[in-house]
Formats: sequence, C-alpha cells, structure tokens
Amino acid sequence: MTHVRIKLLIAGLVLLTSVSYLAVAGISSGWVYYMHVDDFVQDISYQQRRVRLYGLVGQENVDVQPAMLTASFDLQGDSNSLAVHYQGVVPDTFKPGGEVMVEGLLDEVGVFQADTLMTKCASKYQSEEHAKRVEASK
Amino acid sequence: MTEGTGNLSLLMAMLAAAGALFCSALAVKSDNQRVLTWARRLIYVFMAMIVLGSWALLSALINSDFNNAYVASYTERALPMGYKVAAFWAGQEGSLMLWALLLAGMSAIAVYGYRNREVVEQAVLIRILALVCGFFAALMLFAANPFVQLPGEAVDGHGLNPLLQDPYMIIHPPLLFVGYAGYTIPWAMLLAALIAGRKDNQWIGATRIWLMVSWLFLTIGIILGAKWAYIELGWGGYWAWDPVENASLLPWLTGTALLHSVMVQQHRGMFKTWNASLISVSFLLCIFGTYLTRSGVVQSVHSFGESLIGTFFLAFLGVCVLISCGVIAWRRNLLKSENIVQGVFTREGAFLVVNVLLVLITLTTLVGTIFPLISGVILPEPVSVGPAFYNKVVLPLGMALIAVMSVGPLLTYGKDAGKTLARGLTLPAFAAAMVLVIAFGIGLSDLWAMACAVVATIAVTSIGVGLSRAVKQRRLIEDEGSLATTLRVVDGNHRRYGGQFVHIGMIMFMVGVAGSSLFGVTETFKLKTGESAKISGHTVTFAGLHQNRYANYTAVEAHIDLIPPGGGATQHMLPQMRFYDKSEQPSSQVALTSTLKRDAYVTLAGWDDDGQRVAIQAIINPLVAWIWIGGIVMSLGAVFCLMPKLIRQASRASTLVPANLNPAESNQPTVHLSLAGEGLCDNSTPTNASAGTTHLKPETIK
Repeated sequence: MTHVRIKLLIAGLVLLTSVSYLAVAGISSGWVYYMHVDDFVQDISYQQRRVRLYGLVGQENVDVQPAMLTASFDLQGDSNSLAVHYQGVVPDTFKPGGEVMVEGLLDEVGVFQADTLMTKCASKYQSEEHAKRVEASK
Repeated sequence: MTEGTGNLSLLMAMLAAAGALFCSALAVKSDNQRVLTWARRLIYVFMAMIVLGSWALLSALINSDFNNAYVASYTERALPMGYKVAAFWAGQEGSLMLWALLLAGMSAIAVYGYRNREVVEQAVLIRILALVCGFFAALMLFAANPFVQLPGEAVDGHGLNPLLQDPYMIIHPPLLFVGYAGYTIPWAMLLAALIAGRKDNQWIGATRIWLMVSWLFLTIGIILGAKWAYIELGWGGYWAWDPVENASLLPWLTGTALLHSVMVQQHRGMFKTWNASLISVSFLLCIFGTYLTRSGVVQSVHSFGESLIGTFFLAFLGVCVLISCGVIAWRRNLLKSENIVQGVFTREGAFLVVNVLLVLITLTTLVGTIFPLISGVILPEPVSVGPAFYNKVVLPLGMALIAVMSVGPLLTYGKDAGKTLARGLTLPAFAAAMVLVIAFGIGLSDLWAMACAVVATIAVTSIGVGLSRAVKQRRLIEDEGSLATTLRVVDGNHRRYGGQFVHIGMIMFMVGVAGSSLFGVTETFKLKTGESAKISGHTVTFAGLHQNRYANYTAVEAHIDLIPPGGGATQHMLPQMRFYDKSEQPSSQVALTSTLKRDAYVTLAGWDDDGQRVAIQAIINPLVAWIWIGGIVMSLGAVFCLMPKLIRQASRASTLVPANLNPAESNQPTVHLSLAGEGLCDNSTPTNASAGTTHLKPETIK
C-alpha cells in the first residue's frame, strides 16, 4: 500500500466516524415518534414525550381564534379522541373533519399542547375530486 | 376527441418503444444497419406520438374541455390562460406526460447523436432509452391516464389549487422534470459503452454535456421551488427538508459529484467504477424520489395521493437497479483505474474529497427521508427525523465541502501541490484574517457565521489568485492589456472559469442561507388599527383592513406600514387572505419587501369580526436575496460552461509551445495530460467538442 493510500484511508476513516457521530447525534435530537392518536391514547409510555400525532379534527368543539393565534379541537381516531390546544398561526387549510398532524406534549390535565399544526390531505397537489371523478367514470 | 387522440397516441407510443426494443435487439443479433436505423426511427415515432398526446391534452386544457376528467379537476373557466397551461403539470397524470415528453425529446437527440456509433453501442443506447420511454407510456396507459372521459360534460371545472396559482409554479416543475429526464441519457450512454466493451474514456465526454444540462435545470428548478415555497407557503422559510424537496435534492447532489469526478476520468482515466455507479445512482434516485413521493409511503406535505403509480415505479426501479448492478459487475474489467491518486493536495485528490462529501450528504439525506420506513421495521412506531437532523449532519458536511471548494482553484492534476498551495493561500488567508477581525469588530460572535465569512473570503480570493496567475503566465507570451488578457484567459477555458462562476454562486447561496437561518427573527403580533410593534429595529403599523375583489378570488387585505431601522421611507405592505371561488379553504398571500440586506415578510394570520384587530406574523430575514442571486449566478456559470468560445483565439498556439513545461508552476493541467485523457469527444455535441480542445489554447500551455 502506498503512502498516499494510507493517508487517504485514514482521512476516510476519520470522516466516516465523524459523520456517523453527527448522524447519531442528529437522529437523537430530531427523534420524534410519529403515531396515530389511538395508539397514543392507549399506550401510556409515549405520553411523557414529545410526539407527532395524526388523526381527524372532530366536527364539534372546534374553537379557532385566528386573531389570538389559537385553535382548540378534538383530535379523533377510530376509537379514541384527544383534546388538543394549539398555539400559533392556524393553517389556511384547517377545517373540522380534515386530517391533521400535530406535534407537542401532553400537559398535566390531559390536554395535548401542540406547537405545530399541519393539515395533510387538503394541501395535496393531487385533487381528491379528481380521483373520485376518474373512479366514477369507470 | 381528446380521449380518442390521446389514448391512441399513448398506445402508439408504447408500441413504438416496444418496436425499438425489438429492432435494436435484432440489429445486434444480425449485425444489420438497416434494422438499427428502424430502431432509431421508432424512437422518433415515440417522440412524435408523445408530442401528439401532449398537444391533445394541452388543447383540451386551453379550450376548457370539461369532458376530460383531468381538465375538469385542475382548471376552471375563469382561470387565467397561463395557469390553464400550467395545469398541464399540476396533477399526477399531466406531470407524467410532461416527463415523458421531455424524455422523448432528449432520447431522440441522444439517439440521433449516436447514429454513427458502432452497432452494439448504438443498439444498447436505443434499447435502454426505449425501455424507459416504454415504461412511461405504459404507466400513463394503465395507471395514470390523463385522457379519462367523464360521463357528461361538467359546467365548470374544479379549479387549480390556489397554492399552485403562482408564476414560479408555472416554471418550477418543468425545469425539475428536464433534470430528471436528463439523467436518463447518461445512464443509457454508460450502459451502451460498457456493454459495447469500450475501453476508452471518450464516451464520458458526451455524458458530461447531458450531466451539465440536467444539473443546470435541476439547480434552477430547485431554487425556484424554494422561492415558491418562500413566497407562497407563508412560514418564512424556503426549505423544510420535506421528502418531496429531498427527492429533488438527491440527484442534484450526486449530479454535482459527477460533474467533478467525470473530469478526472477524462483527464486521468481514474474513478471509473465510481463514475459508473454515480451515473446509475443519479438516474435511480430520480425514479426512487418519484416513487417515494407518489406512492404515499412517506408522509409529506405535498405528496400525491396513494395509487398504483407507486407499485409501477417500484417495480421499474427494481429492474433498473438490477440492470445497473449487473452490467457494472459484469464489465468491472473495463472500469480499472489507469492512474492512482498522487496526493491529497492534487486536483484529483480534492475532487475525491468533494465526491466523498457529496455522497455522504446524499446518504444522510436519503436515510433521513426514508427514516420513517427504516424505523417502522425495527421499532413499534415509526420515527421521523425533523430538520434538526439535517441541520446537524448536512450543515457541517456542507461547510466542509465549501471549504474544500474554496482552495480548489489552486490545485493541479497529478502533482501534489502542497508547496504552491501554501504560497497561493497566503493572500486568501490574510484576507480571511482581516474579515475575521472586522467581524469581531462589529460584534459577530456566532461560530457558524465566522466559519462562513472565512470560507467565503478564501474561496473568492483563491479564484482571484488562480486567475491572476493564469493571466500573468499568458502575458509572458502575449503582449496585451491586462483586461483583454483576462477576458481571453477566461474565454479560453469555459469549463474551468464557468465552474468557478458556479462556485461564487454557491458562496452567495451559502451567505444567504447562513444569514437567514442564523439571524432571522420571527414574531407574531396582535394589533388594533393604528397600533405599532417593533421587530429587530423595524416598526410595523397596522393601518386598517379592507376587502377587494379580483378575477377568481376575493381578498381580505391588511394595510401594514413598515419603517426600516433609523427611519427611511415607509413601505406599504399588503398581506392578503384570499378566498378563491373554487376552493373551500382561504389561502394566505405573503407581503414581502426585499433588499440585499434583508427581507421583511408579513403574513395575515387572522382578524376579529369587526376588522379592528388583526394577528400578523412578521419575519425579518437577513440576506435572503443572496440565495436567489446565488442561484442565478450558479445557473449562469453552468451556461457559460456549456457555451462555445466567444472570442476568436490566436491560431499561433502550435508555434508557441515551450519545450520545458513545469506543471508545478502552472495552475492549468499540462498539455500531455489533457491530450491523453481528452479526445475530441463526441461530434454530435458541438459545445463539448469546443470544451474538449480548450487545453490546446495558448494561455493554458503558457
């Protein structure tokens, strides 16, 4: 093995180690469980940590205060639901019955305090109407 | 009408591709030029059919033919004409049509360019392109047909998603698709060269043009996408590490690596396996990214609906992976390196480091993107990694990459430039030290900001030093003014100085990203009419709320007055909430004032019923404009690389070659090296031919 090859090999190893270290550190800092609201309500072990939940916005109890930058609603799954209080800019596409994703922590009175609220389906480029229309024409 | 023409054209296109596949196989078996000519012509037929199909779709869109399901879903009568055209690629089916159209055009050009090649190489190129073309035609026929007919004509269409009603959205997707489609051609050329058993490195010169063009369009596409997200999505950012964004970044990263390593293969006959793998990976990543974002396997803000498309793409991806791996493994003997890396401080050494860093960035981005899939297998619940992951891993790697880039202009091929590098770096290091002192002086303490300042200074001064060395050398033999000499030197080597132009754009881009991400300030205010608030020195005053009617929407507008720090002219801003006639949800429109120093970005978040109080989000984003300027400079640099020479060069070159060359003193590759690695390239690509002869010019010989 030539002198240069050894040097390159060492450089490569150092680089690889540092990147692996960065990756592990990055993953642990960005580590967020992503789960359905049903699974979250049923499994107590996740309720202490910051999680990202998805589910539907309930038709009732929706209280959006755009000027106060808050939204309270029930996040519904198939069998369970969870009260969510969100603080921040409410997305344009937020609506009762829509599919949303929230990120945050459960507080001591059992309300999920979210600081991130993302609507899912409504902002898809693929128009849902289109899929229905194509289906209907068959 | 549309249905008939469209479906017929898709069917004919698929048959043409199948025919090309068959004829090209037959041509090799029987070694028959005429059959091969037929295979080539069938690729042209494929293109003609896809053009016909696209025209059918386009005319349906323009004429608001609401019998067509696609037209009814993505347009409405009141939609401005530009957006009716843009609706072509607003949905799944149309965007695949556009991809197929671009692919067909490029395939036809590539096949034409290869028409004088040896039978096997030509046949394999046609076969691979026919395979990909046929896949797209079949995909549209069976899984995503843009010509589905509705039972009865709708009175009006459903309208275009308001988020897509933006000028940037008209051009962003087609540019990305040019890039995606473009990476198919080098892949086909690679397989053709390997299967035909070519031992030389000339073919790689032909791929370089395609790599360059694809890279150029992908760069503009990504930057415009970021700009679109910035002004349309309303959260003040331009990149969210969303799977869709990552999907376009991945082939850009490997493509960037390729542009560097391909040169090493041309000059030194090295990195062959690496290049072959990267060319394959770039193409595969385009397919993989499409699979990822259109199959619903990874949650994304802008994903398409789940559909059969995912399965199609996955199966096709599998086939392409097998072909790539199989051919590279089978022809590994052709990929043996002709040289070894002579030292870390050589140009090929630096290119190696650059490549490794880019591939590492690609890998981490890929892992982050599909992390929910990976973790879903080993953990009870899938875990997703947010921007924190990318920022921690990708930013340091990117910084290291730009640091290597900054000393690039001072390195030479094949000769360890440890000593000359130290000498060349004196001025840049001095300038960087000065910048550091000034930064401390104005109270800058952020480590990342410091690093950016140092790297940016070194990069720009190194380019200056490299250029002035070349100019000095030329002035030894040519008696011209220094400006004229500089122009001649730059014009004499488009590839080199175009590349450095791109690097300067990259530095500007980095400055913009660093400025906005490190020093951006976001605040939300609740203001009554006449009330003011302060955000990083700017005064924001709410002057009143109004309602206005526009072509296909009604807007609620907040009148905001912005006074920059230290007084100055008041700027009136008009953030809107738009209520499109054909959309259930309102859509927020950002108000933006931009200077080279900072962007002020205001969105209307909500208001009280009486309109006396509003909630607004204000963001002061320093240096954001440099991201877009950097993007423009990068694109211009790439265009410069592709352009033929502008000034007529002296024809006395041959008489001026000095006998004794000292490569260590020259920052240019020496004549014998460049001639060995670089043939006269592909006659089908005139720009490449001129790039290929650059090293014969006087100033590079000195």
